[in-house]
Amino acid sequence: MRGLAGRALLLALAAGSLAMGPGAPPPEYGRVVLGRSARKAGVPAVGFDHWRHRALFTCRLCHVDVGFAMAAGETGVTASTNRSGFHCGACHDGKRLHQEKPLFAACAEGGRIDDPAAACRRCHAGPGGAARRAEEFARITAGLPRDRLGHVDWERAEAERRVRPVDQLPGLSIPRRPLEMKKEVAIASGAAWMDGILFSHPKHSVWNGCEVCHPDIFPSTHSGQARYSMLQISSGEYCGVCHGRVAFPLGDCERCHKRPVR
Amino acid sequence: MPHPPRAVRRALAALLLALAAPAARPAPPPAAAAAPAWRTEFDEVCARTQDAMALSVEELRSLVARCDALLPALEKLAESERKVFTRRLQACRSLYQFVLDSRGQK
Amino acid sequence: MRRAFGVAAALAALLAAGAAVGQGAGVKKRRPLPQEYGRVVLDNHSTASRMAPVAFDHWLHRARFTCRLCHVDVGFAMKAGATDVRAADNQRGFYCGACHDRKTVFDGKKLFGACGPGTAGESCARCHSVGKQVTPEVDFTAFTRGLPRGRFGNGVDWEQAEEQGLIRPADHLEGVSIARKPMTAQKDFALSPKLVEMPEIVFSHKKHTVWNGCELCHPDIFVGVKRGSTRYSMAEIFEGKYCGVCHATVAFPTTDCQRCHTRPVQ
Repeated sequence: MRGLAGRALLLALAAGSLAMGPGAPPPEYGRVVLGRSARKAGVPAVGFDHWRHRALFTCRLCHVDVGFAMAAGETGVTASTNRSGFHCGACHDGKRLHQEKPLFAACAEGGRIDDPAAACRRCHAGPGGAARRAEEFARITAGLPRDRLGHVDWERAEAERRVRPVDQLPGLSIPRRPLEMKKEVAIASGAAWMDGILFSHPKHSVWNGCEVCHPDIFPSTHSGQARYSMLQISSGEYCGVCHGRVAFPLGDCERCHKRPVR
Repeated sequence: MPHPPRAVRRALAALLLALAAPAARPAPPPAAAAAPAWRTEFDEVCARTQDAMALSVEELRSLVARCDALLPALEKLAESERKVFTRRLQACRSLYQFVLDSRGQK
Repeated sequence: MRRAFGVAAALAALLAAGAAVGQGAGVKKRRPLPQEYGRVVLDNHSTASRMAPVAFDHWLHRARFTCRLCHVDVGFAMKAGATDVRAADNQRGFYCGACHDRKTVFDGKKLFGACGPGTAGESCARCHSVGKQVTPEVDFTAFTRGLPRGRFGNGVDWEQAEEQGLIRPADHLEGVSIARKPMTAQKDFALSPKLVEMPEIVFSHKKHTVWNGCELCHPDIFVGVKRGSTRYSMAEIFEGKYCGVCHATVAFPTTDCQRCHTRPVQ
């Protein structure tokens, strides 16, 4: 009974502090709206759906090799950085081939934003379009395993090789010998009524390598040295940088809180 | 006193130089043809940092003593020189002391 | 009912306690663009003198001079603001003014004078550029084209660039540097990480002494000369201590794990 009350409280807390939390339907989950430079330039905001890219690439490729920050607006993407081959333009340069077709060039010179058919509108879509997104999402994620909240279970999809996210791209990544870290870290829960957390390095490093999380998000490499709370996590820090925004939502408690930790 | 006499002589000489150094005269630019005495001594004392590991304990001790003897003269210089050269002297003195200390550990 | 309140109170206390520690961590920082990496903003006296703060980019200078030349001979501290550079120092031929004196010729051109008397407004903005749109004289993209690529930082592998002779950083500045004997060779050594599974670190003195003199690192940054006498953690390095003095800000960043953790684990 106590356990239930606690979990309900936590869930309410987590849900309350997340705009795009567990409540967002799967096609909208992980959608990032980038409007700062767009607003300055007087063009519609950019809507970026993580699911389009995460089925194809690891988190590491974009958040390390390309260098996207992990909070909307933090990166400082502008038309000019894209044109110089950074950010979206690192791949979307009009030349790089994807499925044998050149990718459209991001923020190409002479693009006509007023033309609804222009390439500009692929990203600068503005509000609306939820119905079309839901349709595309259903098509792209058809046949992929789902978790108990109805989201795509990307972890299982990768483990079963139904998605094969690319981790390195020529001209963008400089390969390094992968560091094997097999350690499973047991983290004690701060609350007596909650199971302990079992953190798996291998499950995370498939997508992230070392450098997505260390040192920015988790500077300490010693378990127990960094202390953080569910409040911090639900407001987007520590595990909450990804979980609750893009990776599986915090409402799926037992996916992390799964064993008694001594 | 463990210092060899030569080091003592040098330290005394540096001290005298230091005392003789004019206090608040605007110093010439560092590249001036006739370098002031403190500068000549500084250049000499701090010229051994790159091969400090090859120096003997005695040489190191003497260099540390010369650094200490030079410091008062540098502290009397005009602001810019004082900031730059006391920092530089501190770095080379610390290094000699560091190498000296490491000898003791072996 | 009372029990529920108890749980809520305990939870609130727990959350508050958790929030108090671990500040600064927990979020993903923005990765600077290649030309921004190693930028230092100096504002000891600028704002107070109604000038824009100075933005110093390491990349251009580090391609041409060793770290030692500026941080030992010229006397720049390793921390922004710690040197306390004043306009008067520059005018009198110290710090920036040690080279930027309107006399020194570099690449066939006289260098501009740092904070020189009568310097026109435009010239001030070359360094006092924070918050201004200033087109740098040397374009980063053009300058770094053709240099070996690095994973992070400036996107340039400076170590390789020097090894291949594509850049030749000068280590001596006439009138400022002291003529010295070349450094006696120091040994490379391996360091064992505390974390199991992490490969050993191989520290190469040789690779470091190309850029640095002994006194740049010893004893200020690394106090112990005997291996194992100074113990430091990755957390401290990430905070900018020990290796992190350079490798968190200017030299290749700590995210490039395998560049130091190079050995297979025994």
